[in-house]
Amino acid sequence: MIHINHVYKRYHNHHGSDWVLRDLDLKIPKGVSVGLVGRNGAGKSTLLRLIGGMDTPDRGEIIRRCRVSWPIGLAGGFQGAMTGRQNCKFVARIHSSERSIADVIRFVEDFAEIGRAFDEPVKTYSSGMRSRLAFGLSLAFNFDVYLSDEATAVGDKLFREKATKAFKDKVGQAGLIMVSHSEGILKDLCQAGIFLHEGHAHWFDSVDAAIKAYHESIVTKDKSAKPAPSAAPRPPASKPASAQSS
Amino acid sequence: MRTPWQVTWSVWRALFLREAVARTSGDRFAWFWMLAEPLAFVVVMVWIRSLIGRVQYIFGADFVTWLIVGLTAFFLFREGVTRSLGAVEANRGLFAYRQVLPVDPVLVRNVVEGILKTLIFLILLIGAGLLGHPVIPVDPLGVIYVWCLLWLLGMGIGLVMSVAATLVSEIGIIVRVMMLPLLILSGVIIPLQTLPHHVQEILLYNPIVHGLEALRLAFFQHYKTMPGVDLLYLWYWIIGSTALGLAMHLRFSQRLKAQ
Repeated sequence: MIHINHVYKRYHNHHGSDWVLRDLDLKIPKGVSVGLVGRNGAGKSTLLRLIGGMDTPDRGEIIRRCRVSWPIGLAGGFQGAMTGRQNCKFVARIHSSERSIADVIRFVEDFAEIGRAFDEPVKTYSSGMRSRLAFGLSLAFNFDVYLSDEATAVGDKLFREKATKAFKDKVGQAGLIMVSHSEGILKDLCQAGIFLHEGHAHWFDSVDAAIKAYHESIVTKDKSAKPAPSAAPRPPASKPASAQSS
Repeated sequence: MRTPWQVTWSVWRALFLREAVARTSGDRFAWFWMLAEPLAFVVVMVWIRSLIGRVQYIFGADFVTWLIVGLTAFFLFREGVTRSLGAVEANRGLFAYRQVLPVDPVLVRNVVEGILKTLIFLILLIGAGLLGHPVIPVDPLGVIYVWCLLWLLGMGIGLVMSVAATLVSEIGIIVRVMMLPLLILSGVIIPLQTLPHHVQEILLYNPIVHGLEALRLAFFQHYKTMPGVDLLYLWYWIIGSTALGLAMHLRFSQRLKAQ
């Protein structure tokens, strides 16, 4: 169960700061897979980061009464000079007791299927190998809720199939909150949906209804001659760094 | 569910092993330079002094040992600060795991650096001892105590600077540049005892001077330092900077993660 209580979020930059998310008030039940839909910059990735605890809301609070993963397939936490095995050990040490480290390593080694490269420094990896490692690492832990930001779109065809299958297996036991622009994957993996529009979140019990609402919002936008002021160009919410450091 | 302490402990443990591996194996030059830098300093300074033709004698202390003590202790402080500067930036990717806070890599780096510098200190002392210089301290416990104080000072200033330099990157450059003048002003190479009293009074505002002189006092039996050396002053700096640094890490935690 994840409670999102009256959450506000904005990023400060030189041109003032619009609210990215305004007064979000949701409860995400346990074991339900949720798809996040909305336009670019609607705050999907921001919401995912907030749920994952990588960022904190400006107002309101998020209460996690379960184990929530980091965004699946995240490769940024790897230290290039260290081997894949060492990096996996590091993440395992952060997340669990010493006993289960060996299990985690074995799982990742099997899942990633990168052979001897597992003992080579990560900086020598191709991007595909990196994401195989990162993906395997995310699935090695038993989280109650997995977060995914376009994670299934990595690797070659064989690996994508394997990843989607692993996802489906997990969905039976754990919840999933995912951002994806591929509606096929959303319909495949998710039951419920959240539609983010102009800073507000709308909950739908079925993901089809959420996608439908999203489509309708695009259609109405096309009909109106001028876009609404809130649709002014804004740097993508998932990358506040570029907006701030400039 | 693990308690917050268990989480923190496992993060520190994992970071420690990671930093230790990265620091010692990442770069073949790293190990060599750790030992070569203080060694080169000592050799050059001894050579300059003999060139000037002065007596290699400092108020009841062997010059080489005196130099090694001051130099390694200063490097302990310096590395604590400079390694902290990049600690947040270098571990940016890890903040995706919400268990890791920006303050963790700073603290862990200081521990790693403290251990390495202590090893270097011992190696240099053993080396000097084999060459016939007196290296056994009269007050070993005092040496350990003051050594730890200087380490804590480096960590305190490092905590403050890690936040400041991450938010305003120019500060990091200034701090690095400041370290060479600070080395001279702290009395690492030039004994401050010979300076006039009114200059000493100003130099004593520098907390490192107090640490270095107290360390040498604990080392040499007949060492004469200047009046006004006071470990309590050093303690004020340690407590003040650590409190300020931790407060800054609390206050700017989100900015540090997001930057």
